[in-house]
Amino acid sequence: MVLILIIIVCIVVVTLYVRESDQGPLHKTQDIFLDLVSPISSGFAKILRPIKDGFINLFHLPSLSRENAELRREVADLKRKQIGAKELEAEVADLKELLNWSEKNPEMKNVGADIIGQSPDNWQRLMIVNAGSSSGVKKYMSVVTREGFLVGRIISVGSRSSVVQLITDSRSAVGARDQRSRETGVVEGRNRSTIRFVPMTDEADMKVGDVIETSGLGGTCPPDIPIGTICEIEKREKGLTLLVEVEPFVEFSKLDKVLVIITPEPESVILKEAQ
Amino acid sequence: MSRKRQVFVAGALALAFLLQLAVMPQFKLLGVQPDLLLVVAVVVAIQDGPIQGAVAGFCGGMLQDLVSPLVMGMGALTKTVTAYLAGSLKGFFVTYSILLPVILVFLAGVADPVMHQVMLIILGQEKLPPFQVNVILASAIYDVLAVLVVYPLMGRFSFPGQGDSLALLRSGGE
Repeated sequence: MVLILIIIVCIVVVTLYVRESDQGPLHKTQDIFLDLVSPISSGFAKILRPIKDGFINLFHLPSLSRENAELRREVADLKRKQIGAKELEAEVADLKELLNWSEKNPEMKNVGADIIGQSPDNWQRLMIVNAGSSSGVKKYMSVVTREGFLVGRIISVGSRSSVVQLITDSRSAVGARDQRSRETGVVEGRNRSTIRFVPMTDEADMKVGDVIETSGLGGTCPPDIPIGTICEIEKREKGLTLLVEVEPFVEFSKLDKVLVIITPEPESVILKEAQ
Repeated sequence: MSRKRQVFVAGALALAFLLQLAVMPQFKLLGVQPDLLLVVAVVVAIQDGPIQGAVAGFCGGMLQDLVSPLVMGMGALTKTVTAYLAGSLKGFFVTYSILLPVILVFLAGVADPVMHQVMLIILGQEKLPPFQVNVILASAIYDVLAVLVVYPLMGRFSFPGQGDSLALLRSGGE
C-alpha cells in the first residue's frame, strides 16, 4: 500500500513537472533549493579543493621525474622547431584573436562567476555557479571562459546561483559552424570528453584541425564563440553520414571561473521561435 | 522500525545527500562517483525491509531531484522501485554476510541508472540513449566500495524494538 502510494506521488510529481512551464511551482522549488544548497556546496568546494589538489599531486609524484626528462627532450626539440616558427605566426595571430574575444566584444556585458558545484550524479554534465537572477543571469544565457571559449548555457536560475549545462552534456545542442568553410550545423554533447558536430549537409567541407565556433543561429547563443577543433572525421557508409568529432577548447576539470554573457531576453527569443 | 532508527535513517540520508552534493564530485574515480543516496536506501531495504527501503529511496531520490534540473520525481521513483526490489530480493539469499549488500548494491547500481535513462527517453527528455556500459559498471563498483563502509556502520545503529527478536538476534542481543 505504501509502495503504491509513493509510486502514485512520484508519477503525479513527474506529470506536473513535465506539464508546467519553467515558472511553475515545481521548477521554482528547484531554484529555491539550488539557492539553499549553493552556499554549502561552495563552502565544501573551497575546503576540499586544496585536499583534492594535494591528492592529485601525490598521485602524480612517481611520474614527475619521468615527466621532467620528457620535458627536457621536448625543450631541445622545440628549440630546433623554433626556426620554422615564422610560418605559425599567422595562426598564432588568429588564436590570439580568439583569446581576446571578451575584450573584442565590449558591447556584450558579462558577469563573472565562480564554479561552486558539479553534477551530483554520473549522467549529467552540469556545473553550479554563484551568479543568479540578482546578477542579471537568465535561462539560456551562454557561459564562456575568461578566454572566450564556450562552456555551456544556463538551464536553471536561482537568485544567487545558477546551473550551467556544459556543451558535453548529452542534452546540449548548440548552433555551430566551421570557422574556415562556414559550414553550419549543430554541436551535440554525448556525456563524453569530446562533442559531435552534425553538419547540415553530408557533403560539408570540413577538415581535421578546423575550428568550430557558434553560429548564432537559434538566437540564444551569440555568434563567433570558439567551441573546439575537429579531431576526427568519419564517413559512415550507410547514408554517407558525416560523424565529426570535436575536442572542446575548455578543460572542464580545471575550470574554476566563468563568464555569463548577458544577452537581452534569450528566453523570449526561444518563445518567439517556438510560436 | 523503531523511532530512534527512523531518526537515524533520516540523518544518514541527510548526510549522504550532503556528501553526494558537495564532496563526491570532488573525488571522482575514472570520471564517476558513487550514488550514496541509493546505497543508503538499499542498505535500509536490506536491514529494515523493502517498504522501509522504498521510503528511504523516495526521500533520497526526491532530495536529489530538488537540486537537479532534470524532471522532478524521476529520481525518487527509480530509487523507490530499486530499493524495494533490492529489499525483496534479499529473501532469495541465505547469507547475512557482507556479500549480500555487495551483490544487491551492485545490481541496484546497474538497475537504477538504466531505469532512469529509459524513463527519460520515454518522456522525451533524453534525445539519445547515453547508455555507457563502462560508466554504469564503474559507478556500480564505486557503490559497492561505498556499501562496504555504509552497511556495517548502519548495522551498528539498528535500535531494535522490544518485539524485534530477529533484529536482536542479528545484533547479538539475547
